[in-house]
Formats: sequence, structure tokens, C-alpha cells
Amino acid sequence: MRKNLLVSSMLAFALTITFGTAEPAMAQQAKPIRIGVNTAIQVQVGRDAIDAVKMAIDEINGQGGVLGRKLEITVADEGEAATEGPKVGIAAVNKLTSDEHVDVLIGGYDSGVTLAELPHIARAKTIFLGIGSASPSIQQKVKDDYERYKYIFRVNPINSAKQAKALLNFITGKLKDDLGYTKVSILGENAKWVQDMVPAIKKGAEAAGLQVPIAEFFDVQTADFSPIFAKVKSSGSQYLIVIISHAASDVFVKQWYDAKVPVPIGGIDVKSMDANFFKRVGGKSIAEVSANFVLRAPLTPKTIPWWDKFVSLYKRAPVYTAPGAYDAVYIYADAVKRAGTTKADAVIKELEKTDYIGTRGRVQFDALHEVKDGPGFVNELFVQWQKNGERVVIWPKELANGKMINPPWLAQK
Amino acid sequence: MVQILVYGAVISAIYAMLAVGFTLIFGVARILNLAHGSFYALGAYGVYTFTAVAHLPLWLASVLAVLFVAVFGMAMERVLVRPLRRSMLAVLLITLAVALMVEQVLLLVFGSEARNVPSMVNATYHFAGVDISAQRLLALLGGILILTGLWLFMQRTRLGSAILAISQDAEAAQYMGIPSDRIYSIVMGLSAGIAAAAGVLVAPFQTVIPGMGLLPLVKAFAIVVVGGLGSIPGSIVGALLLGYTETIIAFKISIEWSQIVSVAAVLITLILRPAGFFGKRAAF
Repeated sequence: MRKNLLVSSMLAFALTITFGTAEPAMAQQAKPIRIGVNTAIQVQVGRDAIDAVKMAIDEINGQGGVLGRKLEITVADEGEAATEGPKVGIAAVNKLTSDEHVDVLIGGYDSGVTLAELPHIARAKTIFLGIGSASPSIQQKVKDDYERYKYIFRVNPINSAKQAKALLNFITGKLKDDLGYTKVSILGENAKWVQDMVPAIKKGAEAAGLQVPIAEFFDVQTADFSPIFAKVKSSGSQYLIVIISHAASDVFVKQWYDAKVPVPIGGIDVKSMDANFFKRVGGKSIAEVSANFVLRAPLTPKTIPWWDKFVSLYKRAPVYTAPGAYDAVYIYADAVKRAGTTKADAVIKELEKTDYIGTRGRVQFDALHEVKDGPGFVNELFVQWQKNGERVVIWPKELANGKMINPPWLAQK
Repeated sequence: MVQILVYGAVISAIYAMLAVGFTLIFGVARILNLAHGSFYALGAYGVYTFTAVAHLPLWLASVLAVLFVAVFGMAMERVLVRPLRRSMLAVLLITLAVALMVEQVLLLVFGSEARNVPSMVNATYHFAGVDISAQRLLALLGGILILTGLWLFMQRTRLGSAILAISQDAEAAQYMGIPSDRIYSIVMGLSAGIAAAAGVLVAPFQTVIPGMGLLPLVKAFAIVVVGGLGSIPGSIVGALLLGYTETIIAFKISIEWSQIVSVAAVLITLILRPAGFFGKRAAF
């Protein structure tokens, strides 16, 4: 890079003398830093990621860019994994790295797709800042083969093993200790990140003294949940934990509400993180609890101003990929600034030293390039849909801003 | 037990609505219609558009959606299928093309997010340990009414007799003065309308997404293979068989396993009795 700079400055000097203008040199120096966004553009997680990246880019460019270069976004569609599998994602990554020659990739949504993309990302030697997929297997690659996979970082969300821990904490802390429940069932979609999670939660809950009569998976294509609701009801469960992302969350809550299943539901429901989910299901997600990573709450001094700006720019509330994508741009820009170059190896060294107060908490990476979680870092919040689609944080205790309610057809506690 | 009985009946009714139209158009016009699932999807999106976008009352939206899809089916038959009908392969391909096109258009217009269709009836019934929403019972009732109506239409009307005549021997029927082209068009409209009605009835408790037509097509296909391609009683028996087997497996084993039933049923039928239960000869 230094050499390039030297050559280009000499060239610029020569050109200036020859043509009396510095324009070609400016053009050379101002070659933008290209950020490739690989995400599922048809769904809100994807749209929000794109818009959040744009928002960060505009802010950084407004302050003069990075190393005198502007930032620029290029988007490629990963498709909907549930219907299209990983091939669209692989094509997206290959397009961004080999055709568009991006300097960094920010994106990812489905863990299966991300895992399939990893070898392609590694081969292209392009830094990847994950902002959507949660399987621990992704960052495990960094441990297994650092030289090959050092390009892979996860800014967001905290991985599914850690989410499982947070969920278990909700089950034992809130459901068992606060509410006195003794029987809790678990239902998860049959996807990579959930397969990692369900056995761990079952084991943890049982170790804490809870009974887990049902711990089952269902196919992401499942269209009728009545059998499982009937089973959960007859098992005498007092709460149904759901872990669902790609499958039809809306069908799930609609059928739950319509059948007035006498068991409250909650857990990790990725579509229920969307601010418009309540409206989309006609209010039938009332009393559902869903883990979330961001809310309009003072998680850091940046959270509320960022949230309000996003809402005013795009006329909608952001979902979990947005704060991750926004932070990822800043984290990358800072690392490039510190490294003085966009060369991957140098930037990776700086990324590993990241200590950044973002929109969701303080961001640091561990040895697996995984975002650190827990008090003082990034946290998982348990948020409940309440009257008129309001969202109330009910767990962790220290961040709670309201009481947990029961669905309308059950007696209120 | 009662649960299995009731939920199985609801699923079977929906499956029967899908399979009857699929088998009808094959039995009469020898059209293996891979766009059949698209009719179902269009029915659901139709009712969504008429309620959420045009703000029509739900019953009117439902009727309009069914009519719209019936007309769409007839137009498809007239413009795309009829010129190619000599070749079954060409028909197969053109209907596949329609299925893909419908999905892409829905994706472009509505995006891939699930859309909400409100329930027509909001009550929930509890009896004999079963919790069931009124909308599901309505789907069951709607299915029974539509199928009974279809049966009466086929048995009691001149048009119905004409359709039956064509399905038995198209050439002979034509010599008797039955206008086969018009009959094909009507049957396609009927088949599309019934599939759309299924889509309309289940939309409130199912996902309304662009790809929603694929699974019903697979089910309809499985049912008619089991029941015998072209046989209406066969497809109803097939629907009951598949609907109840899936429900029993979902309740007694795991919902994860219920999806494999249709594929296994096709496999077993094709090996043991390629013509299906009520088929006269193997269709493939």
C-alpha cells in the first residue's frame, strides 16, 4: 500500500506538471472503501441492516471519510434460507468479493447460509463482520483454523450458546424463582442454531429443578401447530418456551391465540423482534415474550439518539440487525483508521483490539472473534408484547421496566 | 382421541379441496397442472389484498378472490395451455412456468414477509378436551359444502354430465356434440376456484407467503397418486387417509415426522399399486 501511495503520488506529481491539474491524483486517492452487505434483502432484518449501514456511512462520510477516502455500500441478496438454501448466499458473497472487490463484508442472517459462505469468504481473504447469524459453529472456525478463518468476526448477535444461557437465566430466574413455575416445555424449529440450543436449555432447566415434559423440534415448513399445542396443554406445562426464527412465527402465535392455549409462550422469536410484528399478526402476539438485543432504552449513551435518528430517517423502528450493522461500520472504520490501511491482515490486528461503546453496549471481541456479552458488554433483553403493542422489558431484573402479564384468557397474576 | 378426529377432519377437508380440483382437470382434460398450488396462494393473497388494501368486508373479499382466481385459471387454460395440449410434457412445463411466475410476482409485489388475513370468525370452542378455533371449523364446513356442491353439480346438471362424458371418452363425447374446449375451460375455472377457496379458508390460520403454493401442490399430488389420478372419490379417500395419518403422527409421535407421510405414501403406492386405489390404470 505504501508503495502504491508513493507510486501514485509520483504519478500525480508528474501529471500535475504535465497537465496542470491534480484531478487524476485526487481520483486515485479518493478511491472509496467499499463495504459489501450480504443479507436477505426481502425481510426486515435485511432491509434494516442495509439502512443502518447507509446511516453509518453517511455519518462517517460527512466527517470526511476514513483515511481521506469515502465509504461506499454494495448490496447482494442472500435470499430466504428457508426456501432457497445456501446457494444464493454463496453467490452473493462471491459476487461481492470477486466482482465488486469489496474491502469488507458486513451481513449474514441465517447460520446455515453463513456457514456455507465461510469457505468462500476465507478464500477471498475478505474481512467479514457478522451481524445476524448466531450459531457458535461460525466463530469456532476461527479457533479451529485461525490462519484460514481469521477474517471472520461476529459483531452481533451474541451467539446461540450464550443466548441459550440468557434464556436459561430467564427460565430459572423469572419463570421458576419469580413466578414459581415447575413445568416448562421447549419447542424449537429444526434449524442449525436451535439444534445447538434446545438440549442445553433442557439440561440446564432440569438441573435447576424444573420438569421439562416436552422438548421437541418442528420443521421450518410446519403450517399447523395444533398437535403440539394440544400436547403441551395435556402435559400440564405452565409455560412454553419457543425458539423460532425462519419458521412461521406469525402462524405460531395466531394459532396459539385462536385456540386460546392455556399456556403462555415466550423465548426467542426472531420475527417477533420486529417492531411491526404485533400489528402484522393482528395483535395476537399479546403477552408473548421475545428476547431482543435493542430497544429504545438507555443501554448506552448512544442508544436513544441512534434509535430516534433511525426512526426519523426510515419511518420505522429498527430490528436487531440494525444496531449491529451500524456498529460494525464504525468498528471497521476505526480499525482501518488505526491500521492506516484497508489491507486485511493489518485491519484484523486492529479489529482484535476493538474496544468500542456501541448502540447496544460495549463491544470487544474474544479469542474466537466473538462479541463479548454479559454485564458491561452486550446483553440479551426479554421483552413482552403488552396492550396496544407496547413493549416492556421484563428481564433481566436490573433492566426491567414493567410487570409481566398473562394472555387475556388466563387469570392475571 | 377426539382431538385427532376433529383436527384430522379439518386437514382432510382442506386436502380434499386441493386434490379434487387437481384430479378433476387431469381426469377431464389430461392436464397435469403444476400451477395448482398457485391458485391456492392467489386465493389467499386475493383475500389479503381485498381486505387489507381495498378495505372490503371479509365475505366479499373472499368471494371476489375465488372468482378472480377462477378467471385466472380459465385465462391460463385458454392462452397458455390450450395451444400446447397435444403434448403433456409441454403442458407440464408451461404450468410449472406459471407456478414460478406467480410466486415471483407475489414476491415482487408483496415481499417475502408473511401477511395477515383476519379470521372470519373469532370464537374458540372447547369440547371433549379439544380447543379449536371457529375458523378451522369453518374451513371444515366450507370444505364439506364445496365438495357436496361439486358432487351434486356433477351428478345432477347437464353440464356435470357433459364433464363426466368427456372424462370417460373425450372423442366420443365430442361426436355427441359436447364442446370439449369450453368444457375444459369451465373445469379449469372450477378447479382453480376450489383451490382458491381452500386458500381463502385457511389464510387466517396459515402463513400467507409467496411460496405457500408449493406444499399444497405436493400434498395434492400425493393424494391423487394414492387415490388414483383422475378419480374424484379416490382423491377424497386419499385426502382422508393422508390428513388422518399426518394428524395421528403429529399427535402421537412428533409434528416433525408428519411431513414425511405424503412422500412415503406416494412411494408405497407407486410400488404396490401404481394406478392408486381408484385409478383404472397407471397414469405414469
